[in-house]
Amino acid sequence: MRKSSLARRTELEFASLMIPGLFLFSVGVIVPMLLGFYYSLTSWDGFTKDLPWAGLSNYAKMLADANAVSAWLFTLKFTVLNTVIQNALSLAFAVVLDGNLRGKKVYRTILFVPCLIAPIVAGYIWLRMYSDVLPALNALLGTKINFRLFGSGDTVLPGLLIVNQWQWVGYWMLIYVAGLQSIPVELYEAARVDGASRTRQFLRITLPMLAPAITICVVGITVGSLRVYDLMVSSTSGGPGRSSTSIIYQIYNTAIAGRQYGYGSAMSMTLIFVLLVVAVIQLGALRRREVQL
Amino acid sequence: MSDERKEPRRRMRPADIIVQALMTLIAAVVALPILEVVNLSLKTKRELYVGDPLALPLRLAWENYGIAFERLRLGTAFLNTLLYTTISVAVTAILASAAAWAIARNKGRLFRLSYLYFVLGILIPYQALFIPIYVMGYSLHLINTVFGIVFMYVAVGMSFCVFLMASFMTQVPLELEESARIDGCSVYRIFFSIVLPLLKPAIATLVILQAFGTWNDFLMASLFVSDTKLKTMTVFLRYLFSTTSQDYTTAMAAIVILFVPIMTLFAALQKYFIKGMTVGALKG
Amino acid sequence: MKIARLLAVGMALAMSLSLSGAFAQGKVTVKILAGQSTTDAGIENYITDAVAAKYPDIQLDWEVVGWGTDFSAKIQEYMKSGMPDMLVGKGQDIATFASRNILGDISGKPYLKNVVDAAVGSGSYKGKAYGVVYNALYQGVYYNRKLFKDNNIAIPRTQAELQTVIAKLKSLGITPFETHFVDTWSIGNITMQFMINDVFSKTPDWADQFRSGKVSYATSPLAKAVYGYNKLIYDNTWKDETFSLQQTNADGRLVQGKAAMKVSGSWSIQNFLDVDPNFDFGIFPFPNQAGNSKLIFEPNITFMKSAATKQSDAIDKILSVITTDKALGQKIFDQTKTASTIKGMGPSFKNPSQKDIEAYVSKGLLVDANSGNLQLVWGGFQDENAKDIAAWLQGSETLDQALKAADSRKAASKP
Repeated sequence: MRKSSLARRTELEFASLMIPGLFLFSVGVIVPMLLGFYYSLTSWDGFTKDLPWAGLSNYAKMLADANAVSAWLFTLKFTVLNTVIQNALSLAFAVVLDGNLRGKKVYRTILFVPCLIAPIVAGYIWLRMYSDVLPALNALLGTKINFRLFGSGDTVLPGLLIVNQWQWVGYWMLIYVAGLQSIPVELYEAARVDGASRTRQFLRITLPMLAPAITICVVGITVGSLRVYDLMVSSTSGGPGRSSTSIIYQIYNTAIAGRQYGYGSAMSMTLIFVLLVVAVIQLGALRRREVQL
Repeated sequence: MSDERKEPRRRMRPADIIVQALMTLIAAVVALPILEVVNLSLKTKRELYVGDPLALPLRLAWENYGIAFERLRLGTAFLNTLLYTTISVAVTAILASAAAWAIARNKGRLFRLSYLYFVLGILIPYQALFIPIYVMGYSLHLINTVFGIVFMYVAVGMSFCVFLMASFMTQVPLELEESARIDGCSVYRIFFSIVLPLLKPAIATLVILQAFGTWNDFLMASLFVSDTKLKTMTVFLRYLFSTTSQDYTTAMAAIVILFVPIMTLFAALQKYFIKGMTVGALKG
Repeated sequence: MKIARLLAVGMALAMSLSLSGAFAQGKVTVKILAGQSTTDAGIENYITDAVAAKYPDIQLDWEVVGWGTDFSAKIQEYMKSGMPDMLVGKGQDIATFASRNILGDISGKPYLKNVVDAAVGSGSYKGKAYGVVYNALYQGVYYNRKLFKDNNIAIPRTQAELQTVIAKLKSLGITPFETHFVDTWSIGNITMQFMINDVFSKTPDWADQFRSGKVSYATSPLAKAVYGYNKLIYDNTWKDETFSLQQTNADGRLVQGKAAMKVSGSWSIQNFLDVDPNFDFGIFPFPNQAGNSKLIFEPNITFMKSAATKQSDAIDKILSVITTDKALGQKIFDQTKTASTIKGMGPSFKNPSQKDIEAYVSKGLLVDANSGNLQLVWGGFQDENAKDIAAWLQGSETLDQALKAADSRKAASKP
């Protein structure tokens, strides 16, 4: 009897250690999420005392709103391309810089440093690069490459993708490097004895052994791409026109500038829903692969 | 950077030389924008507007830094960013360690559910919640207070940090805790005098990851602090690129000032940084 | 332990911050919300210093946000949670805020005598004074005077004359218009200038008719012509670059004579003179269909007292400092490169466009920007329309789509 009451007391003490964190997290994240869901069912302008009930009409409105649809399309295009390209590049650099190269640590550091820069700053820097610095390089080298990628709706997506690779490839590369270094050397030695080619070694040993790192990078990059915002604030302001308006950007325009809190919240809720679904699907699929291998 | 597997150094083959040259080129391209910012930050306005961007400054215009600090009181923004970052990271580190330890040492339903609840939060980005956060901020009078912005940084960082710390908990040996408990120490005392010191490397990781995210944050700061005395560096920078005009030279100087501390922190704690980043990620 | 040391540093900083708050005891603190643009960045510090020199017991607590981006959103939030003591915005805010009863009446205050008469009018609403208008911006076509003179180009008054000027400049290998459409706000700004001279000058209540459904962008020939001016400018500028080129560099080219004209406002002068302090430039109104367009005058920095403030006396003291401190005024006008609306004050720099401005003033060819800005709101309407115009110029929308998009935002157009 005494012992269980002591255990109970200890458990309560433990719980009390957990409570501050739980409280802060609930107030700062979960309550806003519930509130956001509630707002999304109203046509609130953020201003009136009452929140007029609107049911699901905001969600229906979003499907018919050309600007919201195009923001979603842009975000999805950006996410898919960014996830594929960034993973491929990070892995490629990791393999190269895990190999037999001189000064590979220096290369790694240089590739990594851009991710220490605030995304909003990266936007300012590249706005300048594309409009001024790189064209000057053109003049210097006598080439005629079109560097004004933010200047047209057709090239703004590639332009932003390049900036995003510049900033983040080094970060994800390091995770792949850590993954590569955790692969036992014996596996490669055995394969070499069996006469397996380099390509075959990569496909049969490297890739399967990297599965946990791949999971992290794929999910991390996807989730990060879906919520891209800071980058455009400072570089393209969502333009030219609306051609680089991401969904978060559209939410900001709708809610803060356009005074439609209810409608903006509906967009937020769909974003959270998409994020959860995508992450669960990806984790499920990649984990299953990890197990199979 | 991290430990290398020792491999015998081979002679360079032609293919290696090509790869080496290619990597050098890529590294140069990656470094160019950063060097260019430093270059631009030392030019006069006239040089910046009509000069060749690749040319070096005719003379070093250190006054850009002076204007940033004096006329625009960048120093305040700098100290604010430092203040919010240190307080929120310190609080997050303690609270997340406490929660993660409690979860790791208890198998009860309450603790398992709490863990799940925390981890769910990793997938909910605060960027998608800024409308209710903004509204709550005003109605609870948290906007334009140090408490408000720190509170929010801790709240949105909590779920990832609990997850991160939980993955490090195996590093804390149970024996020490148990003997302390037999000696009659309370849970709190054990946490502060035994567990927390043992978690030092894990906390270093957390500190770095959080510090770096908070230091560079824009959206939360732009929603929560607009009082001139409370602005952060990123909000300050944004203000230099407002409607109708831009103060480019000052902005470039401010970017350099923003970058130097995080670069220094990185250089000093590189080992922890990379280890933490990869351990935290690969354990997930 | 490193962490502990970091923590200690943070705490020490927090302490010093709260201590500095404690020292403020016994002082009157006036909270000020200011909507600014970058040209004005830092003037709050000049004002703080000037007030502190005269009234050490008054402390100013500034909150400075971007006027075009966050100012009105901030005000809306404060209307729910409590207004600051003072507001600093633009002239057009007077009508918007006074009609919502959030401004305090300052009629008959002695410091208003220091404000030029026209600006007192701009600071009033329904016969009561609500604001001290401190400076003015002029909007129209800034041009490289030397370039016009050297090539015997006369100032165009009509669209036909403008076409001649454009053709002449092109034949000389000079880009007629300097633009930086990368900044969507610049499209919004020039479109409003066109609207003022072509639409609102003729039909002052056009926007109300628009909201009641009598007229629309898609069916109005004038609105269509206004959009057409954007195309005219786009066709006569550096097309490939305008959506990339930054304002500072674009302005640099005007100064260098690579381009001849820029539809803009006084905020550009700062850039012009940063490139060349001796740059000779003038200003004329963008020619409208009728050939009778006027130079646009915009009451700019405007100091307002909040209706709910408990620091009314302190605010009166601040406003008297602002309207009498000549050194302060000179600093502000020199930095912002703007024209003063305070008697006996002005900048020390030479503004070459001043003689043009005076000529238009004497001919009565001056129109208040509020004739447009009070009709159609910026955030959510003008700025969104500008995005459609950009999309149309780039060919991803048709003109009809862009006009109809403006019509679809009717409900969000009222300031």
